[in-house]
Amino acid sequence: MIHKPKKVFVDGPISPQFIADSIAKHQSKTTIGAHNIFLGQIRADEKAGGTVTGIEYTAYTDMAEQAFHDIREAAFARFKLTCMHIYHSLGLVPTGEISLFVFVSSPHRRATFEALEFIVEEIKAKVPIFGKELVGQAGDYTWKENK
Amino acid sequence: MLVNVLYFGMLAEATGLPLESWEVPPAASVRKLREQILDKYPALRDRKFKIAVNQQMVDETLLLPPLAEVALLPPFAGG
Repeated sequence: MIHKPKKVFVDGPISPQFIADSIAKHQSKTTIGAHNIFLGQIRADEKAGGTVTGIEYTAYTDMAEQAFHDIREAAFARFKLTCMHIYHSLGLVPTGEISLFVFVSSPHRRATFEALEFIVEEIKAKVPIFGKELVGQAGDYTWKENK
Repeated sequence: MLVNVLYFGMLAEATGLPLESWEVPPAASVRKLREQILDKYPALRDRKFKIAVNQQMVDETLLLPPLAEVALLPPFAGG
């Protein structure tokens, strides 16, 4: 099955209300028996120059959107999913707020656990997104690198 | 021939610009272009980066097609 490319990037943090609304939209899809959600949140890591106050995200947008699409297709091919939504922030996301929202749904739970881990790990490894961690109050920063 | 080079994140910071046209010999390899870029921007020598050509990750033996979109990509930080 070919799925249309979907819009992934949102400006700034992903709000809890947006996440709640996404859940509510699935109440009419009654073949679903299990949802699973991953939320990436910005940590207040301690760095040499102070505490992280947020991350400013940029991306190679065209390539990133294609990479997200490829990850979606791979996940639909590998796992029995009813639907899947991925949202990632661009721009500034302050500490404590959400920068990544992955939402998978299936008739049964097992597929959602496995798919969710696969999708998040693939995003971390393959999508050209870059993060500047803002440190302290003096305008210092470091560049984040996924491990 | 001309290729278009995009710099991202800490690399754009080191070059001071987000994109640049480069003149390279016909059928130059990615390695050749990389050497030219490092000669102009020595600060990139101690930065980690990968290279994509026309939005595909490539190894350095690839021969550049004319008007290729070449992107220098620092470590990914999504999530």
